[in-house]
Amino acid sequence: MATADGGAERAFLVNEGPKKGVSYPIKLAYCGECTMPIEYCEYYVNYEKCKEWLQKNLPREFEKLSVTKEGEGDVEKKDDGGSGEEKKKRQTRGGKGLMKAKKKVEPQGIRMWTASRGKKKKVTIVVGLASYEIDLKDASKFFASKFSCGSSVSGDDEIVIQGDVKDDLFDYLPEKWSQIEEDDIEDMGEKK
Amino acid sequence: MFKKFIPKEMVTNINNAKSSVQKGIRHQVLDQMPFAEDYIDQILPKKEALKIVKCQDHIEILAAQNGELLFFRHRDGDLYPTLKLLHKYPFILPHMQVDKGAIGFVLSGANIMCPGLTSPGARMTRVDKDTVVAIMAEGKDTAIAIGLTKLSTDDIISKNKGVGVENIHFLNDGLWQMKAVK
Repeated sequence: MATADGGAERAFLVNEGPKKGVSYPIKLAYCGECTMPIEYCEYYVNYEKCKEWLQKNLPREFEKLSVTKEGEGDVEKKDDGGSGEEKKKRQTRGGKGLMKAKKKVEPQGIRMWTASRGKKKKVTIVVGLASYEIDLKDASKFFASKFSCGSSVSGDDEIVIQGDVKDDLFDYLPEKWSQIEEDDIEDMGEKK
Repeated sequence: MFKKFIPKEMVTNINNAKSSVQKGIRHQVLDQMPFAEDYIDQILPKKEALKIVKCQDHIEILAAQNGELLFFRHRDGDLYPTLKLLHKYPFILPHMQVDKGAIGFVLSGANIMCPGLTSPGARMTRVDKDTVVAIMAEGKDTAIAIGLTKLSTDDIISKNKGVGVENIHFLNDGLWQMKAVK
């Protein structure tokens, strides 16, 4: 322990404030898969997915990663080999409660219905927008102004628009949100 | 603090801060983080109103007008920068570096134990008890968590046992995943 203490004592950090020659704010690249800075991707449960993402979006960083890995690879492998069996026996260290893989809702397509209100009035029910990472409140505002009608968020992932606007939605949805394809939208006919 | 933080459920309301409150916050930031002085206008522009996001459990998050989360605090306590802000201005907090073995634990929300701060891979800044610190990691350049020291640096070395720094906010916790507010 004495050596450890000594080591720590020798190596006190001093907060020196902003470094010269560095312009702040620093722009950091975050991984699109685990949202963390790239250097921490390796601690993510779905590291493989992070790598895929890196390869696709930041090929330069990915190359760096593979280069450093090759350099350090041997050392790390040795480490893993030595403690590998032990790891199996015991719970993986630092791994038990490690962030669950984010449950990403895959876009499931947008479905819409019409329901009748009274004898001759219709409302349009749109379901599935939230899975495209669209803010429902925004969307309902958008519909209201676009169709000059009432529109409300009526459930977890449901918007009710007054009037039958199904046909218009096919045009406006992909136009407003580029992540939506026209083929994703499905007309489910009448009522729920 | 944010291990089980679900923004959708926890946020109770969002207000623009009164200018007097904003001034107070500005002072508090400068008080706590003297190094931020040159950049305070970048971090907290004078002209723009601050947004105060009130959450359950007496947590308040301060956000810029564009919705970017900047600081948070518990009741009227110390201000903590969010990790996103800290990544932009790493110098505003004293750094505590943990060794490699601790990274996994910290990332799952564990408090930082003294041995993780005194081992050869770790380095510390000399600070007192109850200081807000940035937790860095061995071999990495970016902060991994934000913590509050439970012992002074000297005590951490002499005791070398138990919790040294409380983990307040870490990568991928509820606050990290919280999107910009409107």
